[in-house]
Amino acid sequence: MSSILDAPAQAVSGSESRRRLGSKIVAMLALVLIALLYLGPLLTVVNVSLKSKQNFNLNPTALATELRIDNFAEAWQRASFPVYITNSILYTAAATLIYAATAVFVAFPISRKYVRASGFLLTLFIIAMFLPSAMIPQFQMMLHLGLYNTRIGYILLFLVNPMGIIILVNYITSLPRELDEAATMDGCGYPRFVAQVVFPLVKPALASVIVLHAIGVWNDYATALIYLPKKAFMPITRGLMVFYGQYGNDWTTLSAAILMLMVPMVVLFLALQRWIIDGILAGSVRG
Amino acid sequence: MRQGYSYSFGSRGSKFIPYLLLAPGLIFYLVFSLGPSVATAGYSFTDASGLVGSKANWIGLDNYKEFLFMGANVRDNLEITLRTLLFSVIVTIVQTAFGLLAALLLDMRLKLSNFFRTLFFLPVILGATIIGLMWTLFLYPLGGPAQQLLGLFRLHSEFLGGPPSTVFYWIIWIQIWANMGITMIIFLGGLQTVPNELREAARIDGANGWQVFRNVTFPLITPSFNTNILLETIGSLQAWQLFLVIKGPTNGLNVLGIWVYALAFGRQSNNPTQAAMRQGYGAAASMVLFVIVLIIGLTAQRLLARRERGILG
Repeated sequence: MSSILDAPAQAVSGSESRRRLGSKIVAMLALVLIALLYLGPLLTVVNVSLKSKQNFNLNPTALATELRIDNFAEAWQRASFPVYITNSILYTAAATLIYAATAVFVAFPISRKYVRASGFLLTLFIIAMFLPSAMIPQFQMMLHLGLYNTRIGYILLFLVNPMGIIILVNYITSLPRELDEAATMDGCGYPRFVAQVVFPLVKPALASVIVLHAIGVWNDYATALIYLPKKAFMPITRGLMVFYGQYGNDWTTLSAAILMLMVPMVVLFLALQRWIIDGILAGSVRG
Repeated sequence: MRQGYSYSFGSRGSKFIPYLLLAPGLIFYLVFSLGPSVATAGYSFTDASGLVGSKANWIGLDNYKEFLFMGANVRDNLEITLRTLLFSVIVTIVQTAFGLLAALLLDMRLKLSNFFRTLFFLPVILGATIIGLMWTLFLYPLGGPAQQLLGLFRLHSEFLGGPPSTVFYWIIWIQIWANMGITMIIFLGGLQTVPNELREAARIDGANGWQVFRNVTFPLITPSFNTNILLETIGSLQAWQLFLVIKGPTNGLNVLGIWVYALAFGRQSNNPTQAAMRQGYGAAASMVLFVIVLIIGLTAQRLLARRERGILG
């Protein structure tokens, strides 16, 4: 909020520069106020995770006075953290890898019109947002296929992401077509071309698509609630809700569990923020 | 038909290879997403249940008749539909305004702007479970942080333990809190395309801050404004995850999204009509939501496109 450093080089009348400084102070205050709205719930979790149960019952809001790690140990054991986290990692990794590999093979020929009815195929992906929820027929199908309450069944439900296809198609359109021509002259086959030339070139877009898809799988609760009643199969989202249902008021343990889940996500988010934001911007551009 | 270029990889006989490699991704999409989506219409004419081994019978329009005109729940259904619309209108308006405000403030490039942007965007990646639990704790009625804040003004609230009509507004707020970051990022992308010289020129001509915004900045970010309105309208009409995590299906609080879930998957309930995972009936409710999304989405898109043409030519 320094006035001197931000002052423009050109001579500006005193009242003008005072007015600008004033609006900067107001803006900063507004930003701090919004930041408090966001920090409040986040820091409450941190604070409660460090409190003892008695302390929480006495005054849930007062600052924790000591650094206790009991809650974290308890969350790790009593909330079956290792089982749930392993499941979450397995589901997210498997679904994201398979999706990413297949998505490029869908997006590339559609974007280049190497397959018939490319425009129609692209439309099929675009309309997904408007269509009714697939939830009910999907459930009937999984039930009849015997995939209800299985790991494979749950992963199969996450091999789809229309927005990722749209992002990739848009990105590939911007790649020069001369590449394809040069490759065919050299006698490079289609599978090799896609695998060795297209994949590296779409990396920026693919990174966004991968991160967004992984976030979606990792955060799913509703699908896990419907399909995975067996505790050993549950991802961490559902595991947390089960724990919350059983020990509704054990907020100190629950906060520790939430925090253990959140910290790696926040670290990853800070590292991958750029791809996430790029992806959301690319996915929101209307065709 | 082709636009002057063609597939020339490999020998003539290998043109099927792109199809072959495209097949897995497309089949996943058709089988697990698009197919079931479309099949919802079919199921809405049956009495399918979610129980293993049960048979579905064709019952024509009975589900729709029950949902719209003659069932025990017609009044509830109407209330749920109106509540869905109210939810969508409030969320769309407030989230757009809030996101635009945050984007404009960040666009001033004050100190710590990157920190603020990251913080406001963070909930987008946290997901419904963490956000729902976090707010449940923040709104803890026995001396939680929000309660203490209210206490400063000698006020008191049951928050999420209160009557459904109050909880509804808390969920609206949490929904906005959770998704404002996306709105903000899209607006920030739009603001980057507004040349600074234009704003400076307007200022030199004597326009004040509000006039610059009203006559220069706001018209020029019309595309991102339209994108946001459309995404939020459709997203909020379909929203149900936070309702599910925070309260679960609750009389007086449901919107169509969670009502579909409650009808199709709800196992225990005092209401005998929804005791047995009525998936056919749920599919009909799902179709009602679909028609609403379609009508409102297409209307919004048309109005916004016309406005954009009017402003940007």
